[in-house]
Order: sequence, then C-alpha cells, then structure tokens
Amino acid sequence: MLDLRKKPRMEAGTSPVCPSGQAGCHVPSLADLFNRVIQQSSRVHAISSDLHSEFEQYFFPSKNFLGKGKCHTYGIMTPADKENAQRLGRDQLTEVILRLLGAWEDPLSQLYHSMSQDQNQDFNHYSSNKALEISDMVHELRDGVTKVAEKMKLLGVLGNYVGYTIPETLPPSSAFYFNKKGEVTSMDHLVLLYCFRRDSNKVKNYLRILKCTTLPVLDC
Amino acid sequence: MITYYLAVQMCFIRMGRPQMYRKSRLQHANIYWLFMLFSPHMSYVFGKNKVHSQVTGFCHLINHMLVMSLPFQDTQLSGMRRDLRLALLLLLSAALESNSMSPPGKPVLLGCRSPEKETFTCWWEPGPDGGLPTTHRLYYERERLEGIHECPDYQSAGKNSCFFDKNHTSIWVDYFLTVVAFNDLGNATSDPLKMDVMEIVKPDPPENVTLLVKDIEDSPHLHVGWQRPQNTDTESGWVTIKYKLRVKQENNKKWKEYMSGTQTHFSLYSVSPGVEYSVQVRCRLDHGFWSEWSNTSHVKIPDYLQDKRPFGILVSTLCVITFIATMCILVMKRKYLKKCFLPPVPGPKITGVDFTLLKSGPTEDAINSLNQNFPLMVAWKDQMEDYLIVTENDIGLEPHPFISQKRKNRSMFSSSGFCFHSEIQSQDSRLSLNEQEKAGKRNHEIQQFVKSNKSLSGTSLSNIEQTQQCSHKQQGTIINFGITEATQQSRSHHDNTVKPLTDSGYVDIRRHEENTEEVDVKTLQYSRVKEMNSDNTLILEKENVSRPGYMDVQRQENTEGYSRVKEVEGDSMIIVQKQILSSDTYYKETGNNSIDCDLQMPRGLTGFSKVGVCAELDSGYVDTIPVTHLM
Repeated sequence: MLDLRKKPRMEAGTSPVCPSGQAGCHVPSLADLFNRVIQQSSRVHAISSDLHSEFEQYFFPSKNFLGKGKCHTYGIMTPADKENAQRLGRDQLTEVILRLLGAWEDPLSQLYHSMSQDQNQDFNHYSSNKALEISDMVHELRDGVTKVAEKMKLLGVLGNYVGYTIPETLPPSSAFYFNKKGEVTSMDHLVLLYCFRRDSNKVKNYLRILKCTTLPVLDC
Repeated sequence: MITYYLAVQMCFIRMGRPQMYRKSRLQHANIYWLFMLFSPHMSYVFGKNKVHSQVTGFCHLINHMLVMSLPFQDTQLSGMRRDLRLALLLLLSAALESNSMSPPGKPVLLGCRSPEKETFTCWWEPGPDGGLPTTHRLYYERERLEGIHECPDYQSAGKNSCFFDKNHTSIWVDYFLTVVAFNDLGNATSDPLKMDVMEIVKPDPPENVTLLVKDIEDSPHLHVGWQRPQNTDTESGWVTIKYKLRVKQENNKKWKEYMSGTQTHFSLYSVSPGVEYSVQVRCRLDHGFWSEWSNTSHVKIPDYLQDKRPFGILVSTLCVITFIATMCILVMKRKYLKKCFLPPVPGPKITGVDFTLLKSGPTEDAINSLNQNFPLMVAWKDQMEDYLIVTENDIGLEPHPFISQKRKNRSMFSSSGFCFHSEIQSQDSRLSLNEQEKAGKRNHEIQQFVKSNKSLSGTSLSNIEQTQQCSHKQQGTIINFGITEATQQSRSHHDNTVKPLTDSGYVDIRRHEENTEEVDVKTLQYSRVKEMNSDNTLILEKENVSRPGYMDVQRQENTEGYSRVKEVEGDSMIIVQKQILSSDTYYKETGNNSIDCDLQMPRGLTGFSKVGVCAELDSGYVDTIPVTHLM
C-alpha cells in the first residue's frame, strides 16, 4: 500500500493561476490537467480498495457478504456501461463526476472521525490515517475537476452551466450511514467503504472517457 | 445389490417352475437368468444407467413372456404371475436403488469473469443429477433492476456457463446469481453469488507477440512487440491496459519480469549473443486481475562474434607480424643501437703512448716510447718541476724534500755526501696523496730514466744515475758524486770525469743547518766550489753565500764568476785570468758536454786556478771554477 503522504502529491486543485500568461508561470494545458486529475482519481480508488479489503478480511471473513445496503449516492444517475457513458455527453458526464465527488466529502471526513474515536480500538492507526488521506485527496480531486471544467468552458467544449447544480436530492450522508441509534458499527463502515470504492471507480472511468472524447490523444 | 440377487434368485425360482411345460421356455429362462446373473458385472463395466435400463427392460420382457407363455393353467399361473411381478418389481427397485433417481444435487457457482469490462461470463459446477436428466438454469437479480431474470445465453461460453452480453451487462451494480438444477424429481438451488463486474475484470492475454533482434552499433538488443487483446477498447478510454513481460534464457529456469506500462513494445538490452530467449507477455485492465501469460515466443540471438572473427584474426595477425619484424630489425641492428644508446666510454689515452705496446708486457720499445714521451709529460705538468735533490749527509741520510716550484730542473747536492733525489713537487707545502703518488711515480720514472742508459737529445734533462753511494760520515765537504752520462752523441771517453752538460743547468748545493728542518730557499747555503779534484770531487769552500738560488762560487777576491782563460798549459791546465767581470754570477756551461782539453785559445791569465777538469771552451770564457752541471 503506497504511503501517499510521503509522495509528492499531484495537487490538481492548487496549480497556480496565471492571469495574463506571465513569464515563468507555467500554464498547464488541458491534457496536463486531465492527466493530473486521472492520476489522482486512480490513487483514490487504489486506497479505497485497500481499505475495503482490509475491513472485509478483518471483520467479515466469510466471503459472501450479501448485504443489499444501498449507497447514499444511489440517487445520482450514473451511466452503468460504456455506451451509456458515451451517450451522456461531456456536459452531463462532468456534472456527474462533480456531483459524485461532492457527495463524498462529508462522509469521508466523518468516517475518519469515527474511526479515530473508536472506543473498541478496532481500527488501527494505519487505517484511520488512510481514511484521512482519502478525504483530503477527494477534496483535491474535486477542485481539480472543477479546474478542468473551467478550462473546458474556456475552450468552448463545455457548457457554461456545468457544475452549478445543487445536489438537493441526496439524503444527508450522516443519516445514511451513521445515525443509527447513535452507534456506529463496523458494518456501517464497511458499507461506506464499499460504496466509496465503487464510486471512486466510476469517477476514474468517467474522467478517462471525458478526456478521450474531448482530446484526441494517443493515450486513448 | 443384495436385493438384486434375491430378485434374481426369485426369478430363477419362478423360472424354474414351468420347466415341466416347455423346454424352450426353460432355455429362454436360463438365458435370461444367466444374463441377470452377469448383469451386475456388466453394470460396473458399462455404467449403471445403461445396464439398469437393460436389466429393467429384460425383466419387463421376461414378465411379458411369462405372462404370454402361460396361457393354459390360469389358476396356477396367476399365482406364478403374481410372484413373477413381485420378483420383477424387486428387481426393478434393486436396479433403481443402486443408482437412485432423485432430485438433482446442488450446483456450485464457480465464478464469473469479464474480459473487457463490457461483457461477462459465469460458470458453475453441476451437482449430482439424481439419475435423471437435469437442466441447470441461472437466475439473477440485479441492483436497480426489478425481478428475477434468467441467463440470456447458455451456449456461447460452453457448457455450464452463462454469458452476459453488452445489453445485459451493467457495471457498478451488484448481481446476485443463482443456479438451479432441475430434473424430474426435483430441483436444487446453488448458493447465491454476489458480484460486481468491476471486480471480475480479467483480460485475455496479449496477441501476436513478435520478437525482433535489432543490431544497433554492434550491440544487439531484443525488441518485443505485441498487440492488445482484440476485445478491449482503449480508444474511448473505457479501459487502460498495462502490460508486463517476462524473459527467460534457454538454459535458465528463472524468469525475469519487466513492466511495460501501456506500451505495446519493449526493448531488452541485456541480451547475450548466441543465446536463445523465451518471452511471454500478459496484461491487466485498470486494477483488475492479470491475464494469463501469452504463448511463449522463442528467438535466438545470432552470434555476432562469428561474423567478426575473420576481421579479428586479420587484425591480430597484422599485429603479430609487425611485432616480429620490429624485433628482427632490432636484433640485426643491435650493434648500431648499442652504439647509439650506449656510447662507449673512451678509455684513457696518453698521446704519444701506444698502449698496445704495453699490453705485451714491458719491453724496451715500450719503455723507449715512454721515455720519449716523458718530456711531454713534463710539459703537461708544467706547473710541476723536477728536482734533483742532493741532500747533505752530515745530518743524516734523510733526504729532505725540496719544495719549490721552478721551471727548470735543478739539482742540488749537499756539501758532503749526497744522494740524488729527484722529486717533483708542488710549491705547496702540503702534499696531497695524489701528488705524492705522482711524485713517487715521477720519482720512479726519473729513477728509471736515470738508470737507463739512454740519452736525451737536446733536452734539459740528463741521465743521471742516482748514486747510491751516500758517503756519509764525511766531515769534509767532499762531495762524491758520480755522474754517468750517456748520450747518443756521447763522445765522452772519460768515464770518470765529470762532464758538464751543455745546458745551463746548475747545481744548487744545499746545506742543512742543524736547527732547520724545513728546507727553505732562503736558508739555503751555498758553498763555492773550491776546486775539483781529479777524482770527481768538488772541493767547496766553507763559506756561506747569501745569494739564493745561485751558486756563487767565488774566490774571496774574486766576486765575479767569470775568468778569462789566460793560457792553457799543456793538457788539463788552464790558466785563468783574473779579471773583474760583471757581477753576473751565472754559471754557464759552455761548450759541449764533452770537455776537451784541447784548448787553443790563449788567453791572458791573471790568475791561476786549478781545474780538475777539462772543459771545452767554445766561447772563450771559462768559468772560474768550472763546475759540471748536472742537468
């Protein structure tokens, strides 16, 4: 498992802004931005996968976990295959990405808090650190995707109203995962992690499709 | 099995009964009985189902035949018929018992796999089918999809599999799969399997692995190329494929793995010529499972060394030839090289002396040549001067070295007995060893020179025989000296006479004083020769002459050194005229070496001095006291 704290982060969301193309100020191209963002999302997914598998092995050794718990992002309509994703179009795809990322900021920070405050000491220090890392990374990723959207709007490939939809339909995440009699069980954590793993994979895939449909690059 | 045998026996019993009726029926019965007896063995050989069906079929046949063949005695046969049916039923049940038909066993879902993240396939393992043809059906439930659905395609992926095509595949949703086995008697449901397509992605191995040996600047490297699996879609960005390859040498068992990233080619630089390599490639999508390894491709790196061997041989041969040629030249010209690099050190050479003469040993010729060169040696050492030292005897025989440096040879002899020493010494009072040696050598040479009877012509040296007679203990001032002289032109007939030399040499008589150890020039004392006896004696006047360097032999009344010969009386008598001449006190040796008394130049003689010697006068003057010069 990579210790991402030690590696220099690709801070997709904190690239310097060069208003008038000053000398020495490197303006990243759209391709650069996309690459950074995609790398970040890939890392996020890797960490979430590791966390989930650790949880599953530790708490529920039996493989067939048949919980049919729904994720709190159930309400967000996401394309479930390639054709649907391609059919969706850039605007909506970007919208979906942003919504997904926005929906997970809170739950992840809450996860970290609940993990670090766990009385049972079920979670070791390493896992709680990973949770913190994930929440930071997701925050950065969201900023990065926002910047990509801005750039795309500048280039004219994206509609101007993207990113301004308020996710009203989502139930508050805290009620979804944690507010069960005030107790937070490990099952809840597992469900959360399971859902997040899936959503991070979605984000990664959608970003790649977005890149390859926007830019005709050799990577695609 | 037990019931089976019992049934057989019952059949047999039942068969056995109507033997009274017909032999043919008995025969049939026997055949059937035999068949039934052997059928258990056959059942194991051919498989239960077949044999059991055959057994049941035959039993049915037997039943029918028995029923048909026993038409007449109904009452007896009805009982028998009942027994037969019972037996047959038992048989049937026995047959069925050994492979009982039952509802199918529970199948097991093995797993699912998606090769490109667009479709997927699931496999199951059927359970025991209960002897009846069973069918399996896969049912699934899906998230965000209502109802239970059945597998859309059982065929495409082979037996006991279910293929979900693109229309039926959704990613990021949970599938709940179950397989149900059906047969006539019942069904069986497998355990459900929950899966998400996202988690089951495992691609096909890469295709068309090509190996190319590229030779760039004589360093071979292996270029491995491949293609992505056909069904994957990377253009739309739906999947990202990463590759990995492994290489093995032919004799090595260990594989070496390399990551290739998303490239579909790879260059391997650490290849050795002449070795065969095996390469395999595999891939994975995103963070899914790795595919299987592709088929092994083999390649042998050509041995480049062989191609270049003739060139190498040529180069090495040229070098060897050049080396040998150089060595030959060096050997042949070694003398010249020796001369060039190790120039000979010039040996000692004395001009005028031919060392080859000396090599054969000391001969007269050699010594002559040496002697001839002697004055040259003298000239070479012009700062040195030869001396013939005559030391006074009254003190002792010790010869004192005379230290002076003059240009002319002088001989000194003491008033009394004398020993001639000729030594050549420098003016310095210090005598270095070398110079002493030189002096000694010189002395030796001069001694040799003296000893020899050769003469020098026209030189200032004279052969002086070193007298070994040092007449000591003479109180007089009688000097005995013997001078033998031999010249080439010697016409001397007087061996005993002292013949003055023609050269202007003169005799320094040094007298030793008692208190002086060093001989100083200044302290030299001179005596005048008073007279000379006929037996080669010089009679010296005991007078101190303060004039250094010269011998002032004078008379008291006569300070000059010259006297005119007045007249010659007879033979051996010269009457010297007493005259006052210049104060020049040089003594001149006039005339030849030989003294001839036949003087015929009358002169006026004022005085008369006896001369013990006849001097040949050729200038008209005669010394007051003619003194022989020892030169």
